[in-house]
Amino acid sequence: MITRETLPLLANGSRLLATGATESSYQIAYDWAMDVLSDVSVPLVAAADLPADTMCVAVSLVGSTTAMEEQLPSGDEPIRVVRALEHRLGQRVGAVVALNLAAENALLPVITAAMAGVPLVDGDGSGRVFPLVEQTTYTLGGISATPLAFAGPGGELVLVETDRLERLLRPVVLSVGGWGLAACYPMSAAALASSVVPGTVGRLMRAGDPSAPRALAAPYGLSTLCRGRIVSVETSSGHGRVQSLPSSPTSIVVLESDGLRRLVRLEAHNEIVLALADGSPVAVVPDQVCMLAADGSVVDVDMAVEGQEVEVVVVTAPPAWHTERGRALGGLSAFGVEL
Amino acid sequence: MILGVANGRSVAVQDGALLGPATYTPLVDAVCVAVDLDAVDLTPVAAIRIGRPCPLSLGPPGVSTIVQGGHSLTGDPMAPLDTNAISAFASSCGLNNFVVTAAGSPMLADHELAAAEMIAAAVPGARITLSYEFGQAGLRERENLAVRNAGLGTAAGLIADSMAARFPAPVYFARSDTGLVSSQYFRRYPVVCFRGGVSSAERGDGEGEFAAAYGAALASPTASVERILRASGRSELDDALAVVQDEVLTRVVSAGAVPGSARVSSLIVRPLSYLPDGIYRARATAVGATP
Repeated sequence: MITRETLPLLANGSRLLATGATESSYQIAYDWAMDVLSDVSVPLVAAADLPADTMCVAVSLVGSTTAMEEQLPSGDEPIRVVRALEHRLGQRVGAVVALNLAAENALLPVITAAMAGVPLVDGDGSGRVFPLVEQTTYTLGGISATPLAFAGPGGELVLVETDRLERLLRPVVLSVGGWGLAACYPMSAAALASSVVPGTVGRLMRAGDPSAPRALAAPYGLSTLCRGRIVSVETSSGHGRVQSLPSSPTSIVVLESDGLRRLVRLEAHNEIVLALADGSPVAVVPDQVCMLAADGSVVDVDMAVEGQEVEVVVVTAPPAWHTERGRALGGLSAFGVEL
Repeated sequence: MILGVANGRSVAVQDGALLGPATYTPLVDAVCVAVDLDAVDLTPVAAIRIGRPCPLSLGPPGVSTIVQGGHSLTGDPMAPLDTNAISAFASSCGLNNFVVTAAGSPMLADHELAAAEMIAAAVPGARITLSYEFGQAGLRERENLAVRNAGLGTAAGLIADSMAARFPAPVYFARSDTGLVSSQYFRRYPVVCFRGGVSSAERGDGEGEFAAAYGAALASPTASVERILRASGRSELDDALAVVQDEVLTRVVSAGAVPGSARVSSLIVRPLSYLPDGIYRARATAVGATP
């Protein structure tokens, strides 16, 4: 059960390895969730325990968290996207599930479930975070991300049906100011049960206890790549970049402070997609590479500065990503990088 | 010679070296004061947010209103500015210490500037803090910072008055990060000195009861500017960054740097993810010397 008392555990856990999250956007989602949970609580259920034909929808922020910090939610986005999908499909939504569980994206499904009066499924569609709506284990399970309902903070509502989702959605997101909330992947509980990364919400709630080890937040493994100091941050002007990706390429160079004193180069598009140690690949998507500051907080690519001391860790992605189809959707080539 | 002052102690510092406990003499070129502002009396603030309605817990604090207007991070207006609502709130709220925070102001501050004109017309003599001057992205953080700044204004003015009465030399105040600001800058932006005492004591590590005074005397005038920029291509970005650098140099001079000494000490530029090509967050810091 997620209540005002247990939400802080999920909130803490959701930040342990979350990249791309900012303090401000996380705090918005947290305060909003506390508001919504003041008079309701949200049951946490396993997908397999729902009646097989229950309609489930995945909920996610789409766009820029920096945009959300400037244009705050109006508060009715969750209920507008749920009602829009119900209207389109002629069926009530019976449960909500997360697309991924990074910071605000762990909390927005809680808010949506609370407002719609339905349970939250214990699991998510990633087991880590990818930048595109279609980079999920739901897609790997053969489920379409559309019809997708998208609500902007200014009252906008758009229903999208397409097989070119990212191309169609990005201009829509920008036209409403840079962010919005999406309900997508409408599917039966049976289909969800076979494609979800299970148990991850409950796991993050346990990992969110201050006495729990960080590794609890990484069910498939967590390892340290190196500890060192950022000696260089290089950002491309973005010209010639891969147009389908929402970022410009950035390289971060970390000089290992002990051991072999290797030069570790982190190549990033929004997030780190490849780590090279003295030129040899040592970690690569779909596994997740992230930098942690001395206080344990995640250092995002766009906040990295020269001189900073960091620990570079690798979070092993769930098995579904370590398949031929998984690598095609979430591996290096999906980020426009060919080795 | 610099005189560092904190916690009722004062020390003389020459070229970074501690000369020892001292009092003011005509040989003092500048006085650097370290104070913490966490215990001072706060003046009531009226907060005007320019944006859209939001859930209760995300709303502006205290005596406040939300009026229509603001811009997106791409620079598009979200709605025309509701100038009537601003005038009506300003003249009826009963306060004369205002904070204005518009959505998107780190990108485009037009609506905050327009609101300031409305307030000044409605409440003659009003004190007005605009959030874009703090630059920080994140509307709530910026608003909170601006509200805190406005609340500290009266107390900061009294502190600055008392220091001016004690010391004929230029007086500086220690910032919460590193650096100093002029007395005039402190009156206008006291929030940047909120933890000036604590941070100076950390920098003066091992001088005991004189640590904060020594730490303050070691610092230099410092100012920073944070903006969100839109630029297509390298040359437009360079032009936009030149404007930011000019701005931070102007600001550090108003923070008390001797004009010829001001230089940009750091410039951090990062593209913002998930927004169109060419939207960047830029943060520039400039430093200079005391007389």
